[in-house]
Amino acid sequence: MAALPRRIIKETQRLLQEPVPGISAIPDESNARYFHVIVTGPEDSPFEGGSFKLELFLPEDYPMSAPKVRFITKIYHPNIDRLGRICLDILKDKWSPALQIRTVLLSIQALLSAPNPDDPLANDVAELWKVNESEAIKNAKEWTRKYAVEN
Amino acid sequence: MGNCLKGSSAEDISLLRGSENGAETSDRLGPLPPPYREALPIFYPSPNVSRPVSQLTEEEQVKIAKRMGLIQHLPTGSYDGCKKNRECVICMMEFLIGDNVRYLPCMHIYHVKCVDDWLMRSFTCPSCMEPVDAALLTCYDSNN
Repeated sequence: MAALPRRIIKETQRLLQEPVPGISAIPDESNARYFHVIVTGPEDSPFEGGSFKLELFLPEDYPMSAPKVRFITKIYHPNIDRLGRICLDILKDKWSPALQIRTVLLSIQALLSAPNPDDPLANDVAELWKVNESEAIKNAKEWTRKYAVEN
Repeated sequence: MGNCLKGSSAEDISLLRGSENGAETSDRLGPLPPPYREALPIFYPSPNVSRPVSQLTEEEQVKIAKRMGLIQHLPTGSYDGCKKNRECVICMMEFLIGDNVRYLPCMHIYHVKCVDDWLMRSFTCPSCMEPVDAALLTCYDSNN
């Protein structure tokens, strides 16, 4: 395998030394491009109290292309589908190499605070979010309790 | 936000899974990358589309050639120690005096090698997302 670019080493060091509140990203022992991520549900969101596991992978041409990120923990959110894939512009056509692992994870955390049912990935969830928001929020809280809270 | 429904297929998932198995695959196949990768450069006719040069359509070849020409019109220089720009945000390395840098019309600077790679994929400034071609036209206009 090719040597790890210095940028990845630098980002990893900074993530470990100055972690972002509510986010942990730990590189895998056997693959430094693969990160085990935990994002805590933001306060005043239906995901509050939950710890959501994600996986993040830096492709070979990172930072020329965006990291691949996926939720592993089940989550009821209009922009995250049942496979955990995330609809977020900066992970697709709005990616820029000035963004970092840190900024990507902060954006994902912000997406939990601000679901956007008009740009859905999970259609059934988005539909309910639009026609009956309180019911959707109730479901999101229930899923958080069921799948994202350690007993 | 992009049209995620259209763009999303199983690809993200398989890439993630692929990455986990990456080490095993390369062990089985040996450490060398497939030889075609070295022989043919890969181009990006539009963001997220990569193809070896032999598989580009004529239209894409024209677009890429134009892009290469435009990039060459952007000024370059050697880093003079300017305190405003200390680090190339693409490689996250501090600029060293004498480093070969390219100036975008928005006045953001990057290592030539770093930013040219990006500009071939997207003609925008990584820092401010300002489209480089629109800005180029504006400078030409104001100079005339």
